[in-house]
Amino acid sequence: MSLINLTLIAYIVASVAYIAREVWMSVAIKWISLGVFILAFCFNLTWLIARSIKAGHPPFSNLYESLVFYACCTALVYIIFEFIYNFRVIGALASVLAMLILLYATLQDSSIRPIMPALKSNWMLAHVITYMLGYGAFGISFITSCIFLAVKPFAKNKKSNEVKKGNEISLINFDKLSYKLVAFGFPFLTLGIVTGAVWAKKAWGDYWSWDPKETWSLITWLAYLAYLHTPLIFPKMNISKSKSSVILAFWLLISFGIVNFTFIGLNYLPSAADSEHIYGSQ
Amino acid sequence: MKNGKQNQPHMTTEAKDDRKKTNQISINQSERRGSNKVWDFFCSVKLAVVIILVLVVACILGTVILQGRTLDEYTAKYGYTLATFFRITELNNVFYSYWFAFLLVLLCANLICCTIKRWRNTFMQTGFILTHLSLVLILVGGVVKFQLGVKGGVNVYEGKSVNYFLTQLINRQGKLDYVKKDLPFSIALDDFILEKNEPKFQLVSYIKNKDRQKILEVKVGQRQRVPGSGYKVTIKDYIPDAELKQEPVNTSDTPDNPAIFVKLLGSDKVTAEGWLLAHDRNYYEDKKQNLRVEYIWLSSQEELEKTVSSIETAHPKISVMISEQGLSQDYPMELNKTFKLEGTNYSIRMLQYVLNYGDRRPLAEQPTDNPSVQVEINGPDGSETRWVFEKFPDWDKMHPAKYKNLKITCSGIASGHMARNTIRLFQSPEGKQVMVSIKDNHITSAIPWELEKKYTIADLNHQIMVSNYFPSFDFKKEVIKKSDEVGMPAIFVEVEGPSGKVDDWLFSNQQYATWYTDNNLALVYESTGDSIKHFTSKLRIEENGQTVAEKTIRVNDPLTYKGYVIYQSSYDPEAGSFSGLQVVKDPGIPIVYAGFGALCFGVVFIFYIKPFLRKKSNKEVEE
Repeated sequence: MSLINLTLIAYIVASVAYIAREVWMSVAIKWISLGVFILAFCFNLTWLIARSIKAGHPPFSNLYESLVFYACCTALVYIIFEFIYNFRVIGALASVLAMLILLYATLQDSSIRPIMPALKSNWMLAHVITYMLGYGAFGISFITSCIFLAVKPFAKNKKSNEVKKGNEISLINFDKLSYKLVAFGFPFLTLGIVTGAVWAKKAWGDYWSWDPKETWSLITWLAYLAYLHTPLIFPKMNISKSKSSVILAFWLLISFGIVNFTFIGLNYLPSAADSEHIYGSQ
Repeated sequence: MKNGKQNQPHMTTEAKDDRKKTNQISINQSERRGSNKVWDFFCSVKLAVVIILVLVVACILGTVILQGRTLDEYTAKYGYTLATFFRITELNNVFYSYWFAFLLVLLCANLICCTIKRWRNTFMQTGFILTHLSLVLILVGGVVKFQLGVKGGVNVYEGKSVNYFLTQLINRQGKLDYVKKDLPFSIALDDFILEKNEPKFQLVSYIKNKDRQKILEVKVGQRQRVPGSGYKVTIKDYIPDAELKQEPVNTSDTPDNPAIFVKLLGSDKVTAEGWLLAHDRNYYEDKKQNLRVEYIWLSSQEELEKTVSSIETAHPKISVMISEQGLSQDYPMELNKTFKLEGTNYSIRMLQYVLNYGDRRPLAEQPTDNPSVQVEINGPDGSETRWVFEKFPDWDKMHPAKYKNLKITCSGIASGHMARNTIRLFQSPEGKQVMVSIKDNHITSAIPWELEKKYTIADLNHQIMVSNYFPSFDFKKEVIKKSDEVGMPAIFVEVEGPSGKVDDWLFSNQQYATWYTDNNLALVYESTGDSIKHFTSKLRIEENGQTVAEKTIRVNDPLTYKGYVIYQSSYDPEAGSFSGLQVVKDPGIPIVYAGFGALCFGVVFIFYIKPFLRKKSNKEVEE
């Protein structure tokens, strides 16, 4: 069996284990689920290392490789957060997300092709790694927002009964977790844009030329920038805390949509033909 | 915008207290400024959020609507009204429009006011100040680039030099315009080198009933399943530089595939020789001599005797079939005559015929490689013109046609088009062998022929000899290794499928796919195509006739001289004789890069360093 399929299966097993953990709440299952998830992540990482050795270049020269890398970064961010905060259900959905990304990757052309001259740059390395870590964090924040929005209607009255179990964050406070994830990812996104701009200057002579990919990465950045700033204006606009948290959760869902559109959806734009770096044209 | 203590929307109690304090401070400040409403407006986070959202919308419009095209292109794509609307609202040039510039100026003002308002000399505020001012720096740098910078391109031929470059712009009339800009020096291209990657090869599988294409691994000895199917493929051998040697052999004495080896001799020297196969390529043509040699195998002696005396073995004709009506009709080839199809509404007419489709030479010079007739069909839905190919009777089945129900085939065009001199070598299973010479459509002789005997062709000063006869002709394929370097690689592949194991050599230069016996799995071993590894230009900068700078530039590694940066951007795709250079001058770069640096450090400070420091100080307080 190929390593990529093994990774896929490991992610599926991990998500099942996480659901089991939710049902039985046993410490043993908790460690098993985390263990399987880490194993899946290791498979994912091993594939990337093997691929870069085989291809002779970093494993993100085309859409296929980038997607596998994206899945790996999403898993990594999840693991980091699971260690910091004692998560619950997110693990199941995080592994499903990683699995979906991998599944989408397997639909792409998996052949190894020589990379074009413009991609041979250390800036590219920094650019892609920072970007994908940012995307991974936004992916997990998408999940926390989904859970928050799903739980919110049922938890209206229980607010006063909230009990904190050790370090564990209760579901209703997932909006705070979302914020922490964005706070984790946003610096990476910023570094990603800046390294990308410096690389573009080196390769194409201009750090910013309003290429559709550049413009959409700016849109992504602005979307999360708006997310970070709006909490400051809600009190002044007399919007209640409960309402504002729902608005922000929705905003994160939209923003993650923008992230994915920037990453893989740009081929649908009429201006795509002008772009220097949309996947597929390579 | 973000205050040092305010960037977290969900605050701990301590943070809340802090916020009360800061609010008080800002209230005090605004009181001091005499509650200036304009000042408050420019300081507000609300304005910032509004600007961010408007920028998002503007950016989306700027990618959904094509940017910077000529007026004609807009009119063609969106229609006149919308094109005019775009032009007036500058939606055709969003990022360089006045309203977008206004937005950015507003953003700048907002950033500066906000920074001033919340400025407090504390270490914790470093991130806030850096991020907000960095954006101002980047925008200012952008203005410098827009005002003082230039960007253009020029192509230089090897051994030549240029002292200008061209910039592109859309002029007021909405047309594309080039403006020539002089350089204060000249750029000489001493050498241009295009380096290609080593060719790479891949094995592609295709499953017809699933229309699925997958790349298989080329690893000798590994048995792999074709994804999404039951086929198993094993690569049994690999030769980096292979050559296929085909040796004709006779496999049995029963005439399954009769073939003769014919030699043509001119004054005892062989001028042409080769195998003629009765069931395959059964003729040889020499257009110069106007000679044609045919090898005709007949199933019995009786038939042979019947055929020998007639000149034409086949009359050129076309056959029309309409299967649902059970109609099948033959028509002799007569150009420009209309034939009505009995019992139908159809009529057909033959427009022209050729011996080699696509060949521009006159008919008499064409080899009979791909004889075809152009037919016009007139029916209930009007007329249709199509080419009918003698060798590809199913062509029309596979290609779109108006009257798909009409199947038209043709035959006898190749053999009907006779050379001045024709030699026919007849043979039958009983061993009867007759050579018939035809000149200008008349039989001049009919004699028995034997192996290894020379016969003179009348008038042509040539002799003909049949030197070998194989009743069951076949090729013995042999693949030999030419060298160890990657040249023309080949792999020996074994496929296991529903009809058992099959193996064959696949060559990387093969033009067609190799199909498995069930005609559902195809394999192609092919080159992944030429790809460029590097292209470099050896440039020399000359000023007043003296060389002042020299560098070999490549993508990602430009040359800088007097504020101009010269990039490798393209090359002549056909001859590789010129190098495409991009010339950029941007005095705003230091400002922008300072902004980039400050922005990066600022965000890292806000989201990583500050929370860390705060945690640490909280712990200390607790202790």
